[in-house]
Amino acid sequence: MHSNESIPIQIKANRDGFILVPEAKASFDSIMTYMQQRLEESHDFFHNAEMVLDLREKPLRTDEILALNHLLEEKSQVKLSQVKLADSLDFLLDRPQPRPAPTVRQDAPGNKEPSPLVIRTTCRSGARVVSPSDCVVLGDVNPGAEIIAVGDIVVFGSLRGLAHAGATGNRSARIWAISIAPHQIRIADLVAVPPQGNQPIPKRYEIAEIQGDSIEVITV
Amino acid sequence: MAGKVIVVTSGKGGVGKTTTVANIGTTLAKKKYNVVLVDGDIGLRNLDVVMGVENRIVYNLVDIIEGKCRKEQAMIRDRKLNNLFIIPSAQTRDKDSVQPEQMKQLCEELAKEFDFVLIDCPAGIEQGFRNAIAGAAAAVVVTTPEVSAIRDADRVIGLLEASLLKEIHLIVNRLNQRMVKKGDMMSTEDIVSLLAVPLLGVVPESEEVVISTNRGVPLVHERGSKAGQAFQLIAARLQGENIPVDMGNNGSFLGRMKRLIWNS
Repeated sequence: MHSNESIPIQIKANRDGFILVPEAKASFDSIMTYMQQRLEESHDFFHNAEMVLDLREKPLRTDEILALNHLLEEKSQVKLSQVKLADSLDFLLDRPQPRPAPTVRQDAPGNKEPSPLVIRTTCRSGARVVSPSDCVVLGDVNPGAEIIAVGDIVVFGSLRGLAHAGATGNRSARIWAISIAPHQIRIADLVAVPPQGNQPIPKRYEIAEIQGDSIEVITV
Repeated sequence: MAGKVIVVTSGKGGVGKTTTVANIGTTLAKKKYNVVLVDGDIGLRNLDVVMGVENRIVYNLVDIIEGKCRKEQAMIRDRKLNNLFIIPSAQTRDKDSVQPEQMKQLCEELAKEFDFVLIDCPAGIEQGFRNAIAGAAAAVVVTTPEVSAIRDADRVIGLLEASLLKEIHLIVNRLNQRMVKKGDMMSTEDIVSLLAVPLLGVVPESEEVVISTNRGVPLVHERGSKAGQAFQLIAARLQGENIPVDMGNNGSFLGRMKRLIWNS
């Protein structure tokens, strides 16, 4: 077996799951070889596990992250749920597409309520953001982008893409945006499409929420 | 000093990437810069036709990369300008015959000899796109005022940003002023506000483009062509000249009034 110094990638475990920490001086090839070996030795131990990739010591390129992700998925159906780039800088893996999601920041851990996912860039077509809590976008959500949040969605810009608030069934979730002009919005189990024709221009912002049994957009 | 490698891309096909490459490249060459145009669309070669050099092709991009010829052997000199060269792509191969690292290396070598290296990117976001952008320092995204083209442009801009390409410009091609005024076409302002990248220029819709493409002579050689003038302005802005972009809305009296009020 490897001595402790020569392990190119450490697999640590904590309350929430596994953390992968690549060694600062290790080559990417050695990381991949070691990881493959570990996955093979462990049989089904890691099967379906969620892992966090910690790159604070050893930065990897996007294609390397994707290659590692592919290996994990193929060998043991392991999901990389998060990539830690720096102490306050995480990015959520964009699952279905091989492209990195926009950089996001999460607040200090320790709060009981999961902190909202903050996205500090415009979400362009093809971007898919999934937040386990609320989601705040500091920019526009363009057509073809998808924002899915268990809680509320707040967009400090135009919402033109798809937004799904209360994705796990919370019917009191709401969507806030400077202007809501999406192809479709979803709250909990309801789906709404905007009516045809000219919409009133919002004075300040708009809120989408469930009233009775349908989604209504209120201009504030 | 090393030259600048610029990729011209769009996501959607048929929006005018090749025409843009041919016209910007020709304009820059007319201004005495040394320019090479690289057709990155392996398997669907057409920059050579637009430039009118299709019957002079001996070697191509894949031959250079596979070491079958020196890059000088594959470069075709333009018919009119002796400081403009074209590297055609291979028609009988596919996009997987080239790797991004190889393209990057070729671009680095070309940038040593030329002031501008313009790469004509294939449509799509797969291997061909990754090859074309691998060596680029800047990107020009071409779109038309159609919802489908704009969405693809948006996706491409996202991918360019994800591959850490910082300098991204936008060209709106085939704008029909009459239709914009009638409210039947998206205006340049709408497109720029959605895509949120700096606008390099607007090219009006024109029949001359089709004629020049079929004749294999870039429009900028013709005098008095509106689309050709638009490409000349774009090339000037690309080389760093500060010329304000005409959004195409100064025709209406109200628009001018508004601008006067805003300026005062």
